[in-house]
Amino acid sequence: MLNYDYIKPESIKDVFSLLKEYGAEATLIAGGTDVMVNIRNRKLSPGVLISLRGLMDLQYINKNKGYHIGGMTTHRMLEQSELVKNELSALHDGASRVGSVQIRNVATIGGNICNAAPSADTAGPLLVLDAVVVLEGPEGKRKIPVAEFFTGPSTTVRREDEVLVEFDIPEDNSRYGSAYWKHSRRKAMDLPILGVAVALNLAEDRTIVDARIGLSVVAPTPIRALRAEEYLKGKSFREDVLLEAGRIASSEASPRDSIRGKAWYRGDMIKVFVPRMAKLAAERRGVI
Amino acid sequence: MKKVSVSFTLNGDPVTAEVPAAWTLLRTLRENFEFTGAKEGCGVGECGACTVIVDGDAVNSCIFPIPEIEGKSVVTIEGIADKDGNLHPLQKAFLDNNGVQCGFCTSGMIMSAKALLDKNHNPTEDEIRTSIAGNLCRCTGYVQIVEAIGMAAKK
Amino acid sequence: MSDHLYVGKSIPRTIEIDKVTGRAVYIDDFKRPGMLYGKILYSDYAHARIKSINIAKAEKLPGVRAVLTGRDVPDVRVGFLKDQSVLKKDVVRQFRDEVAAVAAISPDIAREAIDLIEVEYEELPAVFDPVEAMKEGAPLVHETDARGKPLRTNILPLPWRFQAGDIEQGRRESAFTVIDHVSTTWVNQCCMGPSGCIAEFDMNSNLTLYNQTNVIFGDKGRISEYFSQIGLKGKKIRIINPIVGGSFGTKLDTDIYEFICIQLALKTRRPVKILFDREEEFRALPPRQPARFTVEQGCDREGRLTFRKIEAILDNGAYTSWGATTPSVMMMPVSSLYRVPNIYYQATCVYTNNIYCQAMRGYGNPQASFAVETSMDTLAEKAGIDPAEFRMINRNQSGDLTPMRLKITSCGLEECITSVKEKIGWNDKKGKRNGRGVGIASLIHVAGGARVTLSDGHGIMVKVDEDGFVDVLESGTDQGQGSPTVISQIVAESLGVRPEDVSVIFGDTALCLWDAGTHASRHTFMAGNAAIMACEKAKKQILEMAAEYMPRMIKSDFKKMMKKDPEFVEPELDYSLISDPANLDIRDRKIFLKSDPSHPHFNMDINKVLRRGLHVGTGESRVIAAEAFYDPPTETLDRELKGNLSMTYAFGTTGVEVEVDRDTGEVKILQLVAAHDVGKAMNPTLLLGQVYGAVYTGVGYGLTEEMKLEKGKVMNPNFLDYKLLTAMDVIPIKPVIVEPGDEAGPYGAKGVGEPGLVPTAPAIANAIYDAIGVRIKDLPITPEKVLEAIKNSK
Repeated sequence: MLNYDYIKPESIKDVFSLLKEYGAEATLIAGGTDVMVNIRNRKLSPGVLISLRGLMDLQYINKNKGYHIGGMTTHRMLEQSELVKNELSALHDGASRVGSVQIRNVATIGGNICNAAPSADTAGPLLVLDAVVVLEGPEGKRKIPVAEFFTGPSTTVRREDEVLVEFDIPEDNSRYGSAYWKHSRRKAMDLPILGVAVALNLAEDRTIVDARIGLSVVAPTPIRALRAEEYLKGKSFREDVLLEAGRIASSEASPRDSIRGKAWYRGDMIKVFVPRMAKLAAERRGVI
Repeated sequence: MKKVSVSFTLNGDPVTAEVPAAWTLLRTLRENFEFTGAKEGCGVGECGACTVIVDGDAVNSCIFPIPEIEGKSVVTIEGIADKDGNLHPLQKAFLDNNGVQCGFCTSGMIMSAKALLDKNHNPTEDEIRTSIAGNLCRCTGYVQIVEAIGMAAKK
Repeated sequence: MSDHLYVGKSIPRTIEIDKVTGRAVYIDDFKRPGMLYGKILYSDYAHARIKSINIAKAEKLPGVRAVLTGRDVPDVRVGFLKDQSVLKKDVVRQFRDEVAAVAAISPDIAREAIDLIEVEYEELPAVFDPVEAMKEGAPLVHETDARGKPLRTNILPLPWRFQAGDIEQGRRESAFTVIDHVSTTWVNQCCMGPSGCIAEFDMNSNLTLYNQTNVIFGDKGRISEYFSQIGLKGKKIRIINPIVGGSFGTKLDTDIYEFICIQLALKTRRPVKILFDREEEFRALPPRQPARFTVEQGCDREGRLTFRKIEAILDNGAYTSWGATTPSVMMMPVSSLYRVPNIYYQATCVYTNNIYCQAMRGYGNPQASFAVETSMDTLAEKAGIDPAEFRMINRNQSGDLTPMRLKITSCGLEECITSVKEKIGWNDKKGKRNGRGVGIASLIHVAGGARVTLSDGHGIMVKVDEDGFVDVLESGTDQGQGSPTVISQIVAESLGVRPEDVSVIFGDTALCLWDAGTHASRHTFMAGNAAIMACEKAKKQILEMAAEYMPRMIKSDFKKMMKKDPEFVEPELDYSLISDPANLDIRDRKIFLKSDPSHPHFNMDINKVLRRGLHVGTGESRVIAAEAFYDPPTETLDRELKGNLSMTYAFGTTGVEVEVDRDTGEVKILQLVAAHDVGKAMNPTLLLGQVYGAVYTGVGYGLTEEMKLEKGKVMNPNFLDYKLLTAMDVIPIKPVIVEPGDEAGPYGAKGVGEPGLVPTAPAIANAIYDAIGVRIKDLPITPEKVLEAIKNSK
């Protein structure tokens, strides 16, 4: 039967001592839109929930030698941030398409990433923005690139005594345009069949200076399509080049059949949406 | 049963509840306060029938842990008519324009719309649709609901 | 008639104010004193023998008041073909099979107790495909029939075969013929309000069941039959509807959880509530029945249909609900959508170990119309005739007697086709094959009752109190369709009061007269006609009262005035005019002289007369109450499955313009025109709500919705993976209301609840074909299917 304690510490130090005290019995809860569902579906039966919602100082979006987003920042805050919309567009695309307004009002980006679903809508964007995850534990902070954060479905490098406190996004993203496509059957309340994020740095002469491609739901973790990125670098921004990049990216994915979509379809859609998102990213960069 | 005592504002009134810590806001509203306007349509945040407003924002009360309500302000469908019992413009518009059919989604639908209109007096159709995208309805096809919210916004 | 005060007007749904204030009481929202909570344990297998059930741990759990298995309740068969028991004792045949049930003092304890029940199974070979299930040697879903006679086949003993004219003759007269294979899958009704009921016995073992059924007397009848088999013969049953959070077919049949709830209440002698959660809604309610069709049609050189031959195979699932009678409704479009002289139709229902199926909005019509309208398009193409023109050539018309012997009275199909063509820009847009396309499909549906049981009647009672307020007691179910408002309009109109004077009490077998149920798009038509009949009787009573007392009251008023004012001169009036009820009428709460409605003295507030007639003081006091039972002169189907089962029929046409993304297979609906012959709109705003809602469900049926079953198990039992459309999935709908008026309908109205859904999916499929030259014949039309078909066509 559902029976657990709920503790809402006011400082991160208290979080650490509570985690130490309760050990494996404890589960961290941020917005709770995954944790509460898992409890309801009996995939999770914690002895105690330790809420991070007392850590209001972890809710922020700012730009100061790079972009900094607190781990407790809600998707709704990202959606409503002009800074995110204009300079980290892919993240805006991803955050705005999560669930519903009700979900976005409480669900946090830290929670979305720590939950580590292969379908997380902010994962692809953070990958192509080259974001770094800041984890804090009793011994201090450590930084892990998002690309190295996920280890499998629902698993990450985060230790059980650590809290995701921040995302650091390099300043040079201001030279990139970025976009994220959530391919889903419905326009809201859905999980992606496939997520494609692209960030592009384009020279005025339409030469691709740098490209980053993030794919979700096509492997056990969200992945970067590194070969496709390499292929694009130095090439001219042309339809045939983008199509080829899509084909290469598709070959880097290992999608599977599921009730949500067929593997072949996901593979095909990578070919379609890598070019489309590259174009949108370029458009946002103002080059085309 | 591990319990928790929470004090918060419910439709303008200061209230306290002592309930199991594992309860949700929805269950507390329905069982402790007998405000049954918010409904459980899915229990996992996928249908919006349980939507209430917490500190100005629409949330799914079915996945809102009750301990988190401490010190906050909750508004439910029961609390939006004025003190004299006059319907909120949204309630009236839903009746006038057939935004209600079976009515099961209606409480949540109106609360999502209210959260929008409280902040945005002149929403576009897209903003209206976005605000209720998390409120599923089988009866209406949303058409007359979207119209009703637009009518209420003009009031 | 334009002089109606209320019918035909968009009166707001103010009568349903509780639904916008959070006060409407659904089954979820109320408790009975001492109530327990029931919960059901379902099978872990699609087909297995139950070796043992251990309930010891569950029984010991504090707070548990009853644990029932198939061994604890009488072994009584229930269901349309009496092919299942309430709790399964020996064999489970589908994943939703009810194996055990508990009642406990809280829902949490009930759930925990369910988890403590240990069941040991021995898995049996199962069959999940109806075609496989028909083959020799396929695993048998049922080893015996209801009477214990061994079965050799999974084919149900329900042979739906219909024949009219001569198919071979039709073939000979054909210049063109086509054959298509078309299929549809399971979809869930997705009522937002979950299923549930509360069963309560008094100590005399009489039952009150608070239940969401939309056929309260049908439900009562089935429970009564069950009672007679479990030793409760002669005990009384009262069914009471709460407000129902959507029905769409799920409330038609008595579901197993109702019988279980009754057993738990009987065992514990306490009220017991069973309330489904969303997962149970998906896993343990019967969805719309999947069907596969082989459809063959022909036409002559002029495009006139010569014959239609349709063979259908329906996946019945493991048991038989009313869903197995959907072939009877399929027969309607098969035999009677467009003029076809020669028809052959055969439907075979087959047991499988999938979940069993039942009714859903449209009841077989959407499936069959998808087949017919797909074939209409392929045949039109073969004959080289524009698809819309082809339908116009073959349209149904007033005065037709169809091969099924349906009598077509009012028929607005021609106007529906014409207006859809015009509104969608048909002639400019069709045949471009440029990724954009238009498609069209039509429908016929019962719209004046549907005589599937021997009585298709609807009873209603009207009482008018001394204050002039009217109570209407009728056994319809408020499942969201707007009937409280529409009935109040009809009553106000026909009685002469205002809609706000009318209260409508729904769904209570103790208060209301018999009714065949709120289904088959029948409520406005049936209850409307019954209401008019009852109101005529009540009005007659009131006017008789008026004729008796109005002259006296007017005279006594004059006397009072003369006392007050000696100068007052009593006018000379011909009181004989108002002493005959035939000369009087009521309108807008006033009783008046028909020959001189603005007569200065011969009119009176209705409540004054009612009060006078009640408070007489001599033993002649009267109250106003009237009942009516409207049972239309329709026919049940005869042995050849022919007969005019409805007083009138709804027609409609949907036109869709789509844009198809050839790279992704995604289909976007640019516009959708839904033209419906509704007879006469009682309340245009409410009527549009029926059309919009049905169209959305139809679009879901066409494009997004499917229950995914893997070896009999529902894999997507939630709203995340079952793709009910959201408010962001915008479908621009242009409704067109065609109002030819229907002679048999109340103020000309026909039923409109289901029609909007029916032609939607085929119209979309036809539009996709027009856009890209690829035809998908299997619903839903997913991007994967479209893309695969595009690839295959290259």
